[in-house]
Amino acid sequence: MKSYFDKTHTWGRIWTVAALVVFLLVPVAFSIHLNAWPKAEYFFKGLASVAIIFYPTGIIEVISYAPLLGAAGTYLSFVTGNIANLKLPCTMSALETSGYSVSSEEGEVISTIAVAVSSIVTTLIIAIGVLLMSVTGFVKEITSPDSPVYPAFQQILPCLFGAIGATYFYKHWKITIAPLVVVLAVLAFSGGTQVGVLIPISVAVALIVTHVMYKKGVFGKETESVRNE
Amino acid sequence: MDFKSSPFMYAVGSIIVIFVLAQSTFFLVRAIKRGKELGIDSEKMKNTALQSALFSIAPAISIVATVIVLSGALGVVLPWIRLTVIGAIQYETSSAQSALNAMGNAAGIASAITDPEQFTTVAWVMTVGSVMPLVILPFILKKLQKGIGKAMGKNKLWSDLMSAAAFIGIIIAFVGRAILGTGDKKEDIIGDGAGVLSITGLVSSVAFMLLFSFLVKKFPKLKKIESFAMPLSMFLGMGMVLLVNHLLPSAYLIEWRY
Repeated sequence: MKSYFDKTHTWGRIWTVAALVVFLLVPVAFSIHLNAWPKAEYFFKGLASVAIIFYPTGIIEVISYAPLLGAAGTYLSFVTGNIANLKLPCTMSALETSGYSVSSEEGEVISTIAVAVSSIVTTLIIAIGVLLMSVTGFVKEITSPDSPVYPAFQQILPCLFGAIGATYFYKHWKITIAPLVVVLAVLAFSGGTQVGVLIPISVAVALIVTHVMYKKGVFGKETESVRNE
Repeated sequence: MDFKSSPFMYAVGSIIVIFVLAQSTFFLVRAIKRGKELGIDSEKMKNTALQSALFSIAPAISIVATVIVLSGALGVVLPWIRLTVIGAIQYETSSAQSALNAMGNAAGIASAITDPEQFTTVAWVMTVGSVMPLVILPFILKKLQKGIGKAMGKNKLWSDLMSAAAFIGIIIAFVGRAILGTGDKKEDIIGDGAGVLSITGLVSSVAFMLLFSFLVKKFPKLKKIESFAMPLSMFLGMGMVLLVNHLLPSAYLIEWRY
């Protein structure tokens, strides 16, 4: 007879494949409805610059998070996303409070409850938020060029990535310097270089320099701080 | 009616929400049943659910803020779907920006998409660009969980560092453009190149985020604001842009990379 873990993997695989099919049907449905299909050239060009980062990052994330989230927790987390800022903290605190290890069957149950409830609550809050935005028309008004807040919306990206990046830069300043210098050097010569081109350059520099520093033992003394993040 | 927010689009979004809720409920019910069989105290399971729900409220609101941010260019429905499944801020923003840049749209998500073909291209890139974990999970998770849990140690540090490096690389590309990137020369849009306002937004959002982190560390009672710190810093950064623009109207025109 199959164990609970084995059955979890069977169900997890079924739901994951179903999710993959359903998610891929979204752009198909949009394209059919609007009778507008992307040109292969633009699609592959756009995809290439993100896939080069997100595909390896996706693999690294699966390997890094899977041991912490439990089996069902991992299948669920990767469908709903927002793992580092939502699913992982929920699971860690639930396991700590309950006192179970994630590798035990009890821990598997607790982590599944934590991730499932988090997914349900998050999905409902986002849906309610979207409904409120749609009913009030709030979004359209604030983003029009006549709007008094238009200059702020023009600067969304610096504000968004400043807020996301701040703690990364602070904790990992050694990793930050090299890609920043290289990106600024590229932009100094060619200010029109777009983000799609800059990202692969910046990520490659960050990964290479980090790996070299790791090999040279630069992060040796940071072991504790990195693990506690 | 805006094609990006038609009833059809909302219907597609609703189907995705129903799918996610069904999957989560399936695993939740299954876990509760197994928990009872194992003799786990019902109170313990209830507390886990309640704690997890409370833990999720603030980050979920910050995700709604990201939907608002992206909705200016993409409408409400696509960001809603993308941030309900797989999504995370860095992925979705860079995917959308990259797809628009590939089509020669230099303004990217700073302006509304009006061309359906550009819209569907963005939807395809955002979706296909994010599915890798779902492709590999069915093949590797079972083996992975049996083996890798024991082999963390040094490799854990390396994988943590490499993940951080990849994220920093992405963020730096956007930060670099805010410092030295030029705007769209064909369209001659004021305010889309690096200048006083882009630096104001960047520096102030970094400063607010660091301030919040410092305050939370210094005063543990403020722990509650931690989950809000990121979206709050972003909005305060945008607020500072408006303030500088209001106090120094000519600042809007100062772009060293126009």
